Amino acid sequence: MRRDKRRKTAPAGPPPILVTRGAAKSYGDLVALAPLDLSIRAGERVALVGHNGSGKSTFLGMAAGLLELSDGSIEVAGAPAGASAARASVSFIPDNPVLYDDLSVREHLAYVAALHGVDAAVDAFDDLLDRIGLLHRADDLPARFSRGLRQKTSIALGLVRPLDVLLVDEPFVGLDAPGRQALLELLDQTHRDGATVVVATHDPLYVERVDRCVALRDGELIHDGPATPDDVLRLVGA
Amino acid sequence: MLTAEPDADLELALAEWRGYRRRKRLADVHWIDAMYQAYMTGIFGAVALYFLAAAVGDGPLTPSQLATVAADGADWLGVVVAVALAIGLRSGSRGGPLVLERAEVRHVLLAPVDRARAVRGPVLRQLRFLLFVASVVGVVAGLLASRRLEHHAAAWMACGALFAVTTVLLAYGAALCASVGRLPSWLGTLVSVGLGGLAVADGLGVVNGSPLTAWGRIGLWPDAFSVWGLVAMAVSLAVVAVGLMRVGDLSVEAAERRSTLVGQLRFAATLQDLRTVIVLRRQLAMELPRLRPWVRLRVGGTGRVPVWTRGWRGVLRWPAARVGRMLLLGVAAGLALRGVWAGTTPLLVVAGVALYVAGLDAVEPLAQEIDHPTRSRSVPIERGEVYVRHLAVGVVVMLAVAVVGAAAALLVGPSLGGLAVAAICVVPAALGSVAGAVTSVLSGMPEVSTGDAWSLMPPEVAGMRIMVRAVWPPALAVLGTLPVLAARAAAENGGAAASAAGAAAVAVVVVFMLVGSWVRMRDRMHAWWKAAMDQAFPDGKQREREGAAHAA
Repeated sequence: MRRDKRRKTAPAGPPPILVTRGAAKSYGDLVALAPLDLSIRAGERVALVGHNGSGKSTFLGMAAGLLELSDGSIEVAGAPAGASAARASVSFIPDNPVLYDDLSVREHLAYVAALHGVDAAVDAFDDLLDRIGLLHRADDLPARFSRGLRQKTSIALGLVRPLDVLLVDEPFVGLDAPGRQALLELLDQTHRDGATVVVATHDPLYVERVDRCVALRDGELIHDGPATPDDVLRLVGA
Repeated sequence: MLTAEPDADLELALAEWRGYRRRKRLADVHWIDAMYQAYMTGIFGAVALYFLAAAVGDGPLTPSQLATVAADGADWLGVVVAVALAIGLRSGSRGGPLVLERAEVRHVLLAPVDRARAVRGPVLRQLRFLLFVASVVGVVAGLLASRRLEHHAAAWMACGALFAVTTVLLAYGAALCASVGRLPSWLGTLVSVGLGGLAVADGLGVVNGSPLTAWGRIGLWPDAFSVWGLVAMAVSLAVVAVGLMRVGDLSVEAAERRSTLVGQLRFAATLQDLRTVIVLRRQLAMELPRLRPWVRLRVGGTGRVPVWTRGWRGVLRWPAARVGRMLLLGVAAGLALRGVWAGTTPLLVVAGVALYVAGLDAVEPLAQEIDHPTRSRSVPIERGEVYVRHLAVGVVVMLAVAVVGAAAALLVGPSLGGLAVAAICVVPAALGSVAGAVTSVLSGMPEVSTGDAWSLMPPEVAGMRIMVRAVWPPALAVLGTLPVLAARAAAENGGAAASAAGAAAVAVVVVFMLVGSWVRMRDRMHAWWKAAMDQAFPDGKQREREGAAHAA
């Protein structure tokens, strides 16, 4: 097991698409994420692991442009996180689905796709909805869904638009076994399509599917490199 | 994976979808509901107008009063502008004034849409609504003023509306600029206090030259035209224009936090759930407890006074903003009571409310206990006993706040007699504010229907009860300031001011002890009342049991 906080770049390969330089986040005197240097290459598949409060969601939020940095910088596809070009490249699937009360699943998808310049017919998303197990509820309001169905809707929204980097926060929480399997296949498909996939998870088994595991503890980087599920359990006690 | 059209007009797509959603919403609104809302607004407006007209009166002012209005009116209107500006800066430093739907923050602001164009529409709609309300208020104020002042009513109404609109433009523009410029909350407060203090000092004639007087001159244009009013209008428009130009730089983080909390805050305010309002407001202001306390108490040193120690552990983690706010409230209360001593009796209410607000913070350890009822139920003593023990910390904190207030009051006009009165009044002021705050915190939000005898009362009685529950806590805090009034009355009649204050203070102490007894015995009283009701209305109890069984 390597423990190298100074590592800044991955081995030679495709160019970096997500680069953080001393990116930090604090709330008053509470440090949510200590200065973090990280470089993730295009097409990489990364698992972000750590116990509760380790800074995983904070990192994803900052990379997505949702949270402001207290210090340092984050670049996505060559643009500062939160800039228009970065927003066009990054798709963020949060752990807590945020949906409209008055739009159906299909309308949600059409709306978000339109906001990203996708010109598609209303039934163009049926394949995606079918794969995630939501086709039969496509015309229902997610406001009346269970936690798991809302999570599936949120996942569909994250995948309905063009993207270079997919950031996913605790995607397996609340999903049933078929939903979990469908999500894993969709993440694999997204990666095969050339996107970089970063998944924050408590699930140590997920690291078997990724190229690289980044572990955080109390806002600090404690591991960056390949890892086995046993390594993850040892590192973060997940 | 889907691909984006390179020449797609994202802003147009956003506009079309927003239009679609608006049409859907409108289609869901029944015309009966819309009529009802208009009807209720009309009734409330008419009632407000009636009370306002009664308060203003309708007799023409005397020449000397007219001269006072001409000399100081603009200065006092400047105080109104200062208050509006303070609200704007405060809102802006917390990500306001706009409150976007949370899903809009997530899906629109994180899409590659031009944020300025995405946000400008909602901003302009909000500003349009505020300007409409300001115009109506300004016209009404102008109409009421015209009954007591010279010149034509139309002129006062027009200038009243213009003053209100210009003030709202300034406040809204300042809020936008503060928001996009990430103005720190403390700086916003500092600017607000500075400008507000200057405006008040200008009104009192202590200083001359509050910049906000220029806005006030607009309201008095029918009496005397001043070019400074035009300058104020230009500044207001410029501030709004700058805010609108930079509106795309808003903080997405603050927008999301605001979208999450403001909705809950409004709901809690609607239910008059003051405790929830306070907690949510703290979250909105990111007012978090300090990780490192101001003074570290010995761990495990709870000894024989665990509640007292727990209370101080909480107080010692208060953020600097809360400490500063309490000191400011103390100063405000002290200055207001100094005004009462000087003869302005209504300032008692200002002092009481300031102390009440500070008291709500001072009883935080008790409020935490109430927020987590399972904790107090898990200890082997009565809940009321735990609550009573919490009062001590609140009283000590409020004594400190009251001492600060007394010091501020004495600094304005130092005297030995004043010192004696202030020293006596500190205790009832602290006790009154804690009594009010603890009553508010323990009462919680008004119960719409509890299934007890109150549910059998006619709406008028139930409504009166809700009103009393809302007014009683701050009234207790005002009661704590009455010894100042007693001292003034004694001094005016040639008596001993300190003795009168002492006698009144004893009455406040008695009231505080009654409140303390209520806190201690509240659960027993409720149990006794419920048993009495069950005995009086056995059918109701039977129905309750049946209802519970049915629900199970």
